Amino acid sequence: MAKKRIGTLAALALLGMGLPGLPAGATESGLRQHVEALASDAWQGRMTGSEGAVATVEYLVEQLTALGAQPLPGEDDFVLEFEFTAGTDDTGSAITLEDASVESPDPSGGQSFAGTGLVQALSFSEDGEVTGPAVFAGYGMVVPDDDEFFYDSYAGIDVEGKIVVALRYFPEDAEDETRARLSRFAGLRYKAMQARERGALAMVVITGPRSPNAGEVVPMAFDAAVADSGLLAVSANAEVAEKLLAYGSTKTLEEIQKSFDDANPHVVGFDLEGLELTIKASVRREKKIGRNVVGILPGAVPAGSNGSGGSNGSNGSPDKPYLVIGAHFDHLGKGRTAGSLADKSEADAIHYGADDNASGVAAALSVAGRLAGKETTRKLVLAFWSGEEIGILGSADFVKNGPLAVEEIAAYINFDMVGRSKDNKLSLQAAGSSPVWPSLIEQSNVPVGFDLSIQNDPYLPTDSTSFNTVKVPTLNFFTGSHEDYHRPSDTAEKINYEDLERISQLGTLIAGKVSRLDAPPEFVTVERKVEEGGGRDGVRAFTGTIPDYGTEVEGLLLSGVIEGGPADEGGLLGGDVIVQFGEKEISNIYDYTYALDAVKIGVPVKIVFLRDGERQETTITPRSRD
Amino acid sequence: MRPSHAKTAFVLALFLLGTPLALIAGEATDDGGEQRFLTRVRRLTFEGRRAGEGYFSPEGKKLVFQSERDAANPFYQIYLMDLETGETERVSPGHGKTTCPFLRPGTNDVLFGSTHHDPESERWQREELELRASGKERRYAWDYDPEMELWVRDAETGELRRLTNARGYDAEASYSPDGEWIVFSSTRGAYSSELTSEETKLLELNPSFFGELFRMRADGSGLEQLTDAPGYDGGPFFFPDGERIVWRRFDREGLIADIFTAAADGSEARQVTDFGAMSWAPYVHPSGEYILFASNKLGFSNFEIFMVDVDGQREPVRITHTDGFDGLPVPSPDGSKLVWTSSRHKGEGGQLYMGDWNHEAARAALAASPKRAAAE
Repeated sequence: MAKKRIGTLAALALLGMGLPGLPAGATESGLRQHVEALASDAWQGRMTGSEGAVATVEYLVEQLTALGAQPLPGEDDFVLEFEFTAGTDDTGSAITLEDASVESPDPSGGQSFAGTGLVQALSFSEDGEVTGPAVFAGYGMVVPDDDEFFYDSYAGIDVEGKIVVALRYFPEDAEDETRARLSRFAGLRYKAMQARERGALAMVVITGPRSPNAGEVVPMAFDAAVADSGLLAVSANAEVAEKLLAYGSTKTLEEIQKSFDDANPHVVGFDLEGLELTIKASVRREKKIGRNVVGILPGAVPAGSNGSGGSNGSNGSPDKPYLVIGAHFDHLGKGRTAGSLADKSEADAIHYGADDNASGVAAALSVAGRLAGKETTRKLVLAFWSGEEIGILGSADFVKNGPLAVEEIAAYINFDMVGRSKDNKLSLQAAGSSPVWPSLIEQSNVPVGFDLSIQNDPYLPTDSTSFNTVKVPTLNFFTGSHEDYHRPSDTAEKINYEDLERISQLGTLIAGKVSRLDAPPEFVTVERKVEEGGGRDGVRAFTGTIPDYGTEVEGLLLSGVIEGGPADEGGLLGGDVIVQFGEKEISNIYDYTYALDAVKIGVPVKIVFLRDGERQETTITPRSRD
Repeated sequence: MRPSHAKTAFVLALFLLGTPLALIAGEATDDGGEQRFLTRVRRLTFEGRRAGEGYFSPEGKKLVFQSERDAANPFYQIYLMDLETGETERVSPGHGKTTCPFLRPGTNDVLFGSTHHDPESERWQREELELRASGKERRYAWDYDPEMELWVRDAETGELRRLTNARGYDAEASYSPDGEWIVFSSTRGAYSSELTSEETKLLELNPSFFGELFRMRADGSGLEQLTDAPGYDGGPFFFPDGERIVWRRFDREGLIADIFTAAADGSEARQVTDFGAMSWAPYVHPSGEYILFASNKLGFSNFEIFMVDVDGQREPVRITHTDGFDGLPVPSPDGSKLVWTSSRHKGEGGQLYMGDWNHEAARAALAASPKRAAAE
């Protein structure tokens, strides 16, 4: 009972408090100040590893210093560096075709292909050179057997010690449901892994004449998460492809592709007889340094506790003595990366990232300001991540290599895109990661009063996922996607500062409660809803819809549409709820993703949607992504 | 859920178990209509399987409600929420079934129905938990446990006092505005006199048939019976001036219910609705001008909140417009907020919701409503 009362008073005191040194009511302007600083021209969109990011790091270090924070144990300062791949380019990959019947070395030297547009390494390729016989493996795909469907390009062919030649994407003429299945296993990294596991020496990818981007080499994706795939992998253009396939078949490449395009599992590949193939892959990976900014906030020993207050005190230190509050501060720079949704007219413009995620940084700073120096049982760690936009790199490095053992972390609270609250709505995500969340959320939201949507799924495209992976309970604050998402138009004046201030209040109450829990929150492993089969690079369709991830409805609620995109041209608007896509009923985002996988570029699709409760129909024509 | 209505338990079961609810013909899912009266609508409770029956303290700073949120007890317990800090504590004993809490003005007393004194109560809990653990789920039904008695707990001192002691279901109690009187519903009549064979059968099939209204002093003395009509009378509340009461009366079969008002002694009973549907869970707005209630007029399992002028002169006006269950409306003492129970989140049970109430819009809408045919 007495304990409850203390909690009540503490909660009241927290709510009434502004940022240190600022008069009451100034917290909102404090939030604005942080967002405007981060989303300024000067910091150029805060691309990980850029000068703008370094300037942001300096600003965040100043903020941590002002809060009285200390570096993590064993660290001299707040900056934690990690190395990442900032880009890849080809430095001379080549393919050489020789006639195997001719005694080696072939006096003619064979036919060699190299250079831009002809041969290019895949971004995840190993460096090196191999020579060997070659085999064509159709689409080079393996879909795990699930009773209903089976597809294995390697069934009936032997690729051990050979170089695999495979088509990009997945069978073009398959039935919708089959396409949806196949597309999940069409990622090139996944295809390379399958080839490697079967003993292949290397892989050559060709884009068939019946596919989008026909005959072109695969662009070197900005793939920051690259680790070597353990295989030499290159792509070759149509000219090289025709020459390769001529060794195994008299048909044209188009005819060969067509025979695979209905996904008949009995159509198998063939050896490229008489060919001795040499693959040379040469990739330069530009390594850069990313920087997280992390510190421990000053706290006070709770009244009645006999703890020493020292981090090693066996008496005062609770089980799992740290609570981490964080937000990523990096964004897309000028949008020259895969994540940008800017259209051509906005090319090379600064992507300000005011909502994504200056808003989250401001919220986390504000929560920290309210909790610094207050009575907490657990120590509060304030963390600002870099590398989120290019693969959640900063937080992933922290949970793997950081100075804090993850077993010591009671929970992680993340703020990512919290500046666009509309109609009093706020989503709290990953709530399934611990049974404590519903109770803490309920009590904390009573005085703050958001119209909350609580979502259990902890597999989110943000830093909380790094912590979920190492079994730390997580909670993510999110106000939803919008038409400015990942575009230069995500600017500071569009932020809802009044509600951002309330998000800080709610975050403060929840974090305060977690920090005072006697026992750390229990972690629950939530089962993944969608099985990932090798990345999303199989997805090519662009519809220009912006799903509202924050509201749970039957169907897919759109928060907006990309201007000039297929959805926009089809007359869809924010607020519409898509309930049918083609012949497929849509009851959630997963159904939608699945339906998109089955889409054919350039073929109109019927969409049934609800607008103001009324069923309407339109048609949109999906386009190719690149 | 106020159990009161529940001979029709099978109706309630439809939404309590999360059965998808079909759209009623002609009813759109948009809540445009709701926004006339209710804004900043938000879900108040998130913990546990169900929560409902939220009632404000007289100064509006606290809310008492029932919720299934204790892993060890599958039945409702009573919780007191501080609306300024969100701190919430359990005020009922923790075991047994409890229901229908109400706060006594000017005191720390929390009134509720409870079976915790029944030596069998822990066995029911265990059996229910075992059933759920086996993956089964009983259809939600309120059983009118004849062991249910009215209890009061002082939320400060923890002292627990028993107010009734008669076999039969005693519950659905509330205080008068001055805290001196309690009105409640009881099936005690069925257990205190000889029943005909027809009545004995009825008691087995539909015990709530015997529910009648009673009044007593806050200490449990001076018991008087206020109603004596066939069919379930229950869910009584005082008007803000304490002069009259409002409740709902079911017909003999227990399918149709309507809202009634009467003087505090049960005289001058007056019917104010006649939808020919299940209209129940009435509560008078603190202005004393109109009664908020729930009805399934628009579809068997689609309960919506309505309001009607206290005299029932005009047609009731619809408030909520969402699929599923909306009911048990309770305005805050200053009349500026509404708390109710809803399944609009499509969860497995109802939860408490809160919204800002537009009293002026409500008055205007009532004034514009046509005369009720049955009202002369």
